[in-house]
Amino acid sequence: MGSRLPASGSRLSPPRAIAWEFTWRHRWGFLAVGVYLAVLAAIKLVIVVRNVPVAFDSEESFALAVVVPITVSFVYLLAVFTYGLSGDLAARQSMYPARMFTLPLSNAALVDWPMLYGTTALVGLWILTRWLSVWPTEFSIPYVWPATLAAALVMWTQALVWMPYGLAGMRVIVSVVVLWVIDAIVLLALHFKAAEWVIVAITAPQIPVAYAIGRVAVARARRGVVPQWRLPSLASLLSRVAPARGEQIEQVEHSSAGRAQSWYEWRCSGKSLAVWVAIILPLELVLLWAAGTSTTLVIVIVLGALVTPVIVAAFAGVSASSMGGSGSARDGYGLSPFIAARPLTDAQLLSAKLRMTIRSTLFAWVIVLLAIPLALYSSGTWQTLRDWSRNVAAIIGVPRTVVLLGVVVAGMMLSTWRQLVQSLHFGLSGNPRLIKGSVFVSLVLASLLGPLAIWIVDTDRVGVVWSVMPVILALLVLAKMLAAGLVAARLVRERPLGDRALIAGALCWTSAVVALFALLAWLADTPHIPRYLVMLLAILSVPLARLSAAPLALARNRHR
Amino acid sequence: MADSVIRIDNLTRRFGSRTALDSVSLSLPRGAVYGLVGANGAGKTTLIRHILGLLAAESGAVRVFGLDPVADPVGVLSRIGYLSEENDLPGWMRVDELIRYSRAFYPKWDDAYAEELRVAFALDGSTRIKTLSKGQKARAGLLVALAHRPELLVLDEPSSGLDPIVRRDILGAVIRTIAHDGRTVLFSSHLLDEVEEVADHVTMINSGRIVLSAPLDEIKSSHRLGGQVPSLDEIFHRRIASTIT
Repeated sequence: MGSRLPASGSRLSPPRAIAWEFTWRHRWGFLAVGVYLAVLAAIKLVIVVRNVPVAFDSEESFALAVVVPITVSFVYLLAVFTYGLSGDLAARQSMYPARMFTLPLSNAALVDWPMLYGTTALVGLWILTRWLSVWPTEFSIPYVWPATLAAALVMWTQALVWMPYGLAGMRVIVSVVVLWVIDAIVLLALHFKAAEWVIVAITAPQIPVAYAIGRVAVARARRGVVPQWRLPSLASLLSRVAPARGEQIEQVEHSSAGRAQSWYEWRCSGKSLAVWVAIILPLELVLLWAAGTSTTLVIVIVLGALVTPVIVAAFAGVSASSMGGSGSARDGYGLSPFIAARPLTDAQLLSAKLRMTIRSTLFAWVIVLLAIPLALYSSGTWQTLRDWSRNVAAIIGVPRTVVLLGVVVAGMMLSTWRQLVQSLHFGLSGNPRLIKGSVFVSLVLASLLGPLAIWIVDTDRVGVVWSVMPVILALLVLAKMLAAGLVAARLVRERPLGDRALIAGALCWTSAVVALFALLAWLADTPHIPRYLVMLLAILSVPLARLSAAPLALARNRHR
Repeated sequence: MADSVIRIDNLTRRFGSRTALDSVSLSLPRGAVYGLVGANGAGKTTLIRHILGLLAAESGAVRVFGLDPVADPVGVLSRIGYLSEENDLPGWMRVDELIRYSRAFYPKWDDAYAEELRVAFALDGSTRIKTLSKGQKARAGLLVALAHRPELLVLDEPSSGLDPIVRRDILGAVIRTIAHDGRTVLFSSHLLDEVEEVADHVTMINSGRIVLSAPLDEIKSSHRLGGQVPSLDEIFHRRIASTIT
């Protein structure tokens, strides 16, 4: 934990000043990591004192207890020491804070101290976890290679995040690819049961390489080098193919203020979901070529591809919901005066945002629905999927099979849109802590859900979960309706929307829930699934409370 | 004051423990240039943000064209041209896109005037805003603030950090705006010589309080010392000094 700056008279050295900034600014996060380690220590102390043999019922149970929290702590510390929590990850400019370039420090000092602190923190996290955690007796826990891997990962991430790039978004792609390659090499070595010194020999040499690249990155950023690579725009490509059409795109006219604002929203953040889906999807679908005739593998890969927009939307939703626009708001999150001073009502601003989310969802799904059949056909796995669907049709009938497939796709599309809009109230609030906190919670949930599901399946707890499912769903519905009631009361009191909009919204929501219930009840026409359970699911599926809170958040942000 | 463009009554605003505006009352009749002067942090931008409805009055009332800018943003903002001190035009837009985008919001947008301003300000339509210099960005902002011939032009520290040529453009815009009958300009600045050049009426603000608000000629004549007419800068310093003591 850090402390406040010393009183005037005493003076901090530059390395201590840099360390102070890290510790003081992120004191609450460091405190949370410290509490986690203290809890680990306390558990270990109790177990050691009582001399209880340590055994987990599965590797997944152990993962839930230790690996997930340590992963969350690792990601958090990585974000802190790369300066990744402030700045735009997708920007071409270096994320190293420009204010530090004017300090009377050499490039070496600017790189050395943050890299040293980052490496110390992450290696320290591993050492403490290794020492304090209650490791199952059947596990052989290595000492050194995770530490060298942690050091290599943090230094590579720092170097890549601080590097200026020629294209927007390239930082994310380069970082993901480089870190994935490092992880893959280590995982391969583990798969082939390589000795610890072999993995150390793979990871340790990367430390000086990452350091050298970090030095180059900061030197370039300090000189103001930001390469600008130009990709041909859609309009210029079209103008080459069909000059008249290209010209039309360049000269886009807005017939109304609402359409102009929709265009603005689309240009600001509408394309990011589709771009990310287009980057990730080929990496997933390429696995179809390795699936052979395995029906399970083909279905898992296709389902994975269908889930991709939903997962990407959970992260894209935060940037899509921000009203700042690129480089326009002071803190990057608050409503910029340029947008706040548009002669539009709050409802019109929100409506433009919602239109953008619908368009963004459709655009991403056009890519998915074109890419999957294309990949199935090219990889020769189309036949496998067709045979499977014929088998399903033989069991539940052709109409239900067609509707089921339609519902799966439509449900995924709805979920994608839902992910985009349910963080609207965070983004529109303009509160950086709330926005960053929601991203962090999304990351934590994303890293927890997979292991949790595997744990439930592997430990034969599916029956238990199924039996308590009505209670869980009922509690979730109760929480949702309570929140919606509170939001509705504020909407009526503060009047960010007119009566007609409120009534239309309520009618739309009710109609969507009833329609979804009717469809699901028809699809799942079995005595094993009670109707009330279907109704609870339908209520939970259609966004209400958080979407209704968006106008309040926008009004508060716009008229603080 | 039936024809007040802006009417503010007892407006108070606090940010935490700091009082940014303290019982400010102001009435700006139509058809003149109002200079809002004060040191950095005096409360000028906070006052302007209330006029635009970007801050809601905690206590007191703000009316622009007789309307509440928070309750009726379209009614108020469609009649205002605003140039922000933050120069926060979206960097990804091209100048032409900015013009077409802005035109959609203002029914009285004058295409010919916009083109005239674009040429006068030497702005290339195909240039992205983020590649413009600070002065060019200010000119682009001024273009979209003026091209719909607003009834009220609000300029918040428009020439802060700009070179004399761009400052001349901004002052020229103020003068052109006044040339149209019945239009009003509210111009905040800490560059007092600039305000002195164009303002008819000056309001001095210090620590969230209005310390002086009167026509410029009246201010000068009332502060005459030994037959000498002091500059606005001298008057401001004297007023601030007297407030402190």
